[in-house]
Amino acid sequence: MKRTMTALAFAVVAMIGVSHVAQADALDDIKKSGKIRIAIDLGVPPYGMTDAQMQPTGLDVETAQLLAKDLGLQFEHVPTTGASRIPALQTGKADLVISSLSYTAERAKVIDFSQGYAVLRTVIAATKTTGVHKLADLDGKTVGTVRGTTHDTQLTKEGPKGMKLVRYEDDATEGQAFLSGQVDIFSTAEMIVPQLDKKNPARQVEIKFVLDNFKLCIGVKKGEERLLAEVNKWILANIGNGKLNALNKKYFGSDLPDLIVKQQ
Amino acid sequence: MSYQFDFSFLAERWPDFVSGAWLTVQLTLLSIAFGFAVGTVCALIRVYGSPLLRRPVGFYVELIRNTPLLVQIFIVYFGLSSLGLKLSAETSAVIALVVNMGAYTTEIMRAGIQSIQRTQLEAADCLGLTRLQTILHVVLLPAMERVYPALSSQFVLLMLASSITSQISAEELTAVANNVQSDTYRSFEVYIVVAVVYLALSVLYRFGFWAVGLVLFARKRKLRTAL
Repeated sequence: MKRTMTALAFAVVAMIGVSHVAQADALDDIKKSGKIRIAIDLGVPPYGMTDAQMQPTGLDVETAQLLAKDLGLQFEHVPTTGASRIPALQTGKADLVISSLSYTAERAKVIDFSQGYAVLRTVIAATKTTGVHKLADLDGKTVGTVRGTTHDTQLTKEGPKGMKLVRYEDDATEGQAFLSGQVDIFSTAEMIVPQLDKKNPARQVEIKFVLDNFKLCIGVKKGEERLLAEVNKWILANIGNGKLNALNKKYFGSDLPDLIVKQQ
Repeated sequence: MSYQFDFSFLAERWPDFVSGAWLTVQLTLLSIAFGFAVGTVCALIRVYGSPLLRRPVGFYVELIRNTPLLVQIFIVYFGLSSLGLKLSAETSAVIALVVNMGAYTTEIMRAGIQSIQRTQLEAADCLGLTRLQTILHVVLLPAMERVYPALSSQFVLLMLASSITSQISAEELTAVANNVQSDTYRSFEVYIVVAVVYLALSVLYRFGFWAVGLVLFARKRKLRTAL
């Protein structure tokens, strides 16, 4: 009995110790260590990818490097995947997430979002010879999409009545359906299109029109308000000086839309 | 355990579930009918056919029974369209399911056919039955009666397996569930609902097969004994 009590006492003391560490401000910790750990998924070109020398590169990586440099910190890349981006923040594996992370109300319950630093566009893509230029042109056509994505929801709600929506389980299956000729028109994220073109140039895929723009934000652990403020200040400054726009131009060949530029 | 169940999506989405279940029924009844025909012919070949025919049938059966159904479905859907033959998801699904069902039925029916004793065939011969009459009345029907439980189990399994055709965009019951689930984030409830629907379909199918059995097997109906 006595032993159990002692163990219990130790456990309580240990827990108090841990909670003290957690209460320290993240911004102070980062400044003290001199480096900032940023989680980026390198499997989402051109946001995160590796170059020929296997070094991380891409829009998210360059954004992270720029941020670290401006804050006078050393950049440390934390590898992550789509599903583990948010847990990486929650468990303290990373200080920030810059990984094509778009704002959703569900996610905002568990982490904080900064201002937008870039966009993710959803588009309608098709073979070169297909003549579709706006949503109404899809009437009577078969259009591929990925079940449960924002573009699926949008097409389901706003697409013309005569459009047949064919839903696949993931990007890979949808891409395969397009490449093998099952569908000629499909909705997807902008960044997927060049990859498909690379896999099979003979299909001559091209973007027909933009469905929607989604704000991509930097993810910060919930409640780290000073760190969040610092990140927001940096984003607005770099939208102002054009550096974020230059990055967007480099990777997508287009200017940032008003959605990002006109943020307060 | 603070989970709050919320089945309110059913009020709005139940027609989706009905149309999904209806497509599942259509897909599986077609696949069962054609798959059974393919399997029965292949079984006869495996038992009575010449070696020249037996080999390819054996190869088909082993090939299908030793590869995943999902892979077979992808090959039909993506493979054929790569070759220029563009089939709808539903047609591809039926083709893949028929091919799959055929292989399993072959083995089940082969067991039944081989259980028919040689003396039966000799008796048919003595009675002057033609070859076709012998195969229909002396071989196939009693063979089917013997393996009928295994056969109807396989049919129900096929109905359950048809859920994976949602992968190639056939909007059957599971695909509908995935749609509703991704709209409402009520995955637990949605899959409980489809599980109940599948269960109901299974019970319905088993009842149906039992009734068909009564019609087909007059001997069993009258004597109420196993063959």
